[in-house]
Order: sequence, then structure tokens, then C-alpha cells
Amino acid sequence: MSRHLPVAGSKDLPLHALGARFDTPEALIGAVGALRAAGIRSYNSFTPYPVHGLAEAMRLPKSILSFLVLGGGITAVLIALSMELVPSALIYPITVGGKPVNFSGLPQYVPIIVALTLMISAIVAVKGMILLGGMPRLNHPMLAWDLFAKDASRGFFLSVDAADKQFSVAGLTELLENAGATDLAAIHEEETE
Amino acid sequence: MSAQATNEAAQPDLSAIARPPQVLNNRGPLWVTDAVCSIVEGKTPLWWYAAISVSGAFAAMGGACILYMIVTGVGTWGSNSPCFWAWDITNFIFWVSMAHAGSLISALLFLTRQKWSISISRAAEAMTVFAIVCAGVYPAIHIGRVWFVWFLFPVPNNYGMWPNFSSPLLWDVFAVTSYLTVSSLFWFAGMIPDLAVLRDRATTKIRKFAYGIASLGWLGTARQWRHFEMMYVLLAGLTSVLVVTVTSIVASDCATSVVPGWHATVFPFYFMVGAVYSGSAAVLTLLIPLRLIYPQLKDLITPSHLEKVGKLLLMMGSCVAYVYVMELFFAWYSANPFERGAFWERLTGGYSWAYWTCISINLIVPQLFWFKGIRTCLPIVFVLAILANVGMWFERFVIVTTTLTRDFLPSSWGEFHPTIVDILTATGTLGIFFTLWLLFIRFVPIVNMSELKAALPGTQPGHATGEGH
Repeated sequence: MSRHLPVAGSKDLPLHALGARFDTPEALIGAVGALRAAGIRSYNSFTPYPVHGLAEAMRLPKSILSFLVLGGGITAVLIALSMELVPSALIYPITVGGKPVNFSGLPQYVPIIVALTLMISAIVAVKGMILLGGMPRLNHPMLAWDLFAKDASRGFFLSVDAADKQFSVAGLTELLENAGATDLAAIHEEETE
Repeated sequence: MSAQATNEAAQPDLSAIARPPQVLNNRGPLWVTDAVCSIVEGKTPLWWYAAISVSGAFAAMGGACILYMIVTGVGTWGSNSPCFWAWDITNFIFWVSMAHAGSLISALLFLTRQKWSISISRAAEAMTVFAIVCAGVYPAIHIGRVWFVWFLFPVPNNYGMWPNFSSPLLWDVFAVTSYLTVSSLFWFAGMIPDLAVLRDRATTKIRKFAYGIASLGWLGTARQWRHFEMMYVLLAGLTSVLVVTVTSIVASDCATSVVPGWHATVFPFYFMVGAVYSGSAAVLTLLIPLRLIYPQLKDLITPSHLEKVGKLLLMMGSCVAYVYVMELFFAWYSANPFERGAFWERLTGGYSWAYWTCISINLIVPQLFWFKGIRTCLPIVFVLAILANVGMWFERFVIVTTTLTRDFLPSSWGEFHPTIVDILTATGTLGIFFTLWLLFIRFVPIVNMSELKAALPGTQPGHATGEGH
């Protein structure tokens, strides 16, 4: 280790990542570019609000959530259709108010199809966002870093995973400081019981 | 150098048509975080305890009345034959309608990129959720025997019973359930990043734990934001559909019947514009005092934002006025003696006082918003907004209750008088609404901080104004 870095978490546990804090979103995006140029692929950024251009700089793919929601919506339409038509048109066909019970009476089944589709799609959207975002989780190694835990609503953070093939504390320290990092820390794994 | 100077001089002055600032006094993202969080983190003010005691007492009284009604029977209400639907459905429609402006502001205006709505969207969405909760009090209990409420749902059972899917009443069950689910999810999911901010700033163990659980371990990673933004757009799209469908379905309860005064195709539109009108008024009623109590919000919820809600109120109120006139025209033009009789009864009958209260408020109040002097004078706007909701309550009363008292046969005509249980249940829903509202402003960030910060000038790389995309 070339120099002494602040340590987050227990030193006895293996190193999880190298954390860096930046003052501005521009500096963060610049650092991401520098990391990619250095061949680092396993890293993460933490921002207090969605920063435009960051995901593109990180080459993140488009969220697949819209496809999941489309799938949820189509499933909901099928569920609603069968829930309404099977009893009303097949099992207990009772004519009420002169409305046809079979497929020619389809318009009367539309409101429930719409309502159920919206409801199930929304549940899929929220559940999908939570799961795709790696939530819910109780703790994260980064939260052991005092600066991050207290300052995440202000600063722009980056963590480079120790698992990355190109990871070297000395090289990365220099790279991140050149990119404008105001603080650095060695983040250790969280304790598991 | 000189060429550049000439270039600058040649630029036309755009200040007159520039958008009003999102946040006044050039406040930055850090100030926004501190201002919004300070409301939740500060010491609980005395007025809050006083207010929640009062609203809690009303809510408890309402709860006691509901319990009394359940154990005794619907005879404790003033509902009778022919007025089977009375205050229960009046209040149900009143509340579920009021909810709609919140969805419109938080979802439809988000989709149409009306950035001014960011500051008020969280509060408007909260109003939506709480109003639906209040509306939800009625459908289950108005059936009389609450323990049979499961008949409404398609539950396989050995009686061989199945709901009638062609009935608008059943559409209602699904519409309101999905409305409550979707808007609660939209409200909560949009709040996750802000709850994480409160978790990070928490000073006590209990707060850290509570906000930690509520924020689901949000860290703000680029991946999380990517999925979050996609989810927000999707939910906004889904919620925007609800703005149109829910009241349309509720209106179908009336419109698909043959009762004179209800049987009109204009009803879905009528209910929807009335809904956004009363909801805009409710947003103004709630936000104007909030700005007074928490002065730091004055820079976030600016007079310009409130003025825009006022314009929304004016537009929707004018649509309502249009329908009032058209309704009378339809009755006359239909040449149907029952239809004409129903409206003549509204104009001159025993409940004409309710009709004229509704008409005079809803025709005059929104039209006052044409005047900038009135639209921007917040004390006047506050009073007018309350009046508008009073007017809308009377509209629901006139449509639901008084229409039922007169139908085809004079022998079946009747009258409705609310009982004390009716009245206390109605004030109970007001109590529930304000109790939830007070809990909301005390424990949850009332402005969408992350979305607002992302839209502030200078917070996005490469976009000096923050108006990018």
C-alpha cells in the first residue's frame, strides 16, 4: 500500500472496494471515464439525484423494467379476461339488463380489465425497481464509511470493487486523485453473522 | 473580443418570456435538502399536537359511528326508500373525486414535463392517497352487512356465487382498489430516495432504523437511478390513465341506470372535470397554510406554482360550468317529461337550496381566477378554494341524494334527512384525512427532493440551466 488511506469497516475483513468522493457530477463522470480508460469494469457510483450522462458514461444498458411491466400488463389482461369470461360466459351465463354474456358483450368487461392491468403493472414496476436495484438490503459496506453515510445527500461517490482484475490500491489512488477526488477510503467487507 | 461583445448585444432580451425559476432566491441543492429535512427533523411543534388531537378526535368519532352502524344496522343512517344512496355515496364520490387532481399534478404534468409541478407533486400525491383512503371508508360499509363484503370479490366459494362483471358497481370495486394501490405505490416508490436522505441524516437510533427500513437500503447507485427513473415514467403513465378512468367508472354507476337526472352520457366527463376542479382547490387549501407554517417552503412552493394550480382550477371549473348548462339543455331537448321533471325539481323543488348553493359557488368561484390580482392573492385564493370544495360537495349531494328522492312515480317520492351518525361519519372522514395529512408533514419529506435537485440550475453536467433533455 503506497500510502495510508482511511479505513471503513473492520480491517480484519478482506478489502471490498476503494471509495472516492467528488464534489461535482462533472468530476464524477470524468473519473468514470478515467476508470474505463484504465480498463476497470467493476465499479459503482452513488449520487444524491439522477445525474444525466452518468449511466451513459458507465455504459449501463437501458433498464429492462419496461419489458417486465409490459409482460405484467399482458398477464394482467389475460387474468382479467379469463376471470370475467369463464364464470360470466361459460359457467354461469346469466343475462343481466339485456347485455349479451358472451364475447359480443366484451365492452362490459373492459373497465375491470383496465383497472386490473393498471394495478398489476404498477406492482410489477415497483417490485421490479426494488429487486433490479438490489433492494431491499439492510446494510452495505459503503455505509461503514462515515463520510459516505453522513454525506451521501451532498457528495458524488465512486467505489471500485477489489474484485476487479485491474484493481490496485496504489494505481487507483493516483488515478482517482488526478480525477479530482476529495476523499478516498479503503472499504472493507461488512461483517456477516 | 469586440466581435463577442457585439454578438452578446445582438442577443434578444428573453427575460420577459423566461420560465419563472423553479426555486426562488437561487437556492442550491444543499439548501433544498436542509429546508425540506428540517421540517421532519425539527422538534415537533405544539400546534401539531393540538391539530392532531382535534383531527384524531374527529376520526375516532367517525370510527365509533361506523362501529355503531355496523352493530346496529344501516337504519342508523338517514338512507331510506327511495333514497338508498345518500351521504355514503355522496361522500364517497366527493373524496374519490378530490383525489384526482393529485394524480394529474404528479403524473400527467410529469409526463408532459411541466417542471413547475415537481415542488408540489409529493404533497398533491399524498392528498390523493389520503382522499382515496377516506373514500374507501364508504364502499364497504354502505352495503349494510359488512361481513358480506367478500361477495364483491371474485372469490371461488361453495355457494356458487360470482360477482356480476357487467355491473358498474363491480367496476367501481376494481377501479377504486387499483387507484388506491397504484397511487400509494407511486407515492411511496417516488419517496424512497428521499427517505434514504433522512436515514443518512438521522441522529437517533430509532430514526435511523425506521427510515432505514422505509428506504429499503437505497444507496443512489447509477443502476438504482436507472431503474428508478424508468419506474417513475412507467408509473406516471399508468397513473395518468387512472386520472381519466376512475371517475369515469364511478360516473357510470349513475349514468348506466335509468334514473332521470343520471342517465346521461356526459357523466364520465362531468365527474372527471369536477374531480380535477375540486382536487386543485384541495391542493391550494392544503399548501397555502403549509407555506405559512414553514416559511422555508416559500422558496420551493412559489406563488407562481400556486397560480398555475389556480389556472388549472379555472379551466376545470369552467368545464364544470359548461356541463351544468348542457345538463339543463339536454333535459329540455330530450323532450322526456321525466328528465325535464327531474331538472325542474332540482331548480325549484325542496332541495333547490342545495342546487343553487352548488351552482352559485361553482359558477362564480372559478371565474374569479381570471383576474391575476385574485389568483395571486393567497388569502383570497385560500378562501375561494375552500368554497370550491363546499360547492363540489353540494354538487355530489345534488347528483346522488336529491336525484334519488324523485323518480318516475310520485307515489315513490321521498325525502332524505341526515342523522347524527351520518354527520359524524362524514366529519370523521375529514378527521381521517387531516390526521393522515399531519402525519405526512411530520414524518415524510413533503417535497420531492431528488427530482427537484436534478432539475435545479447547475446540478447537471453540461446543462448550465438544468433545463436539459
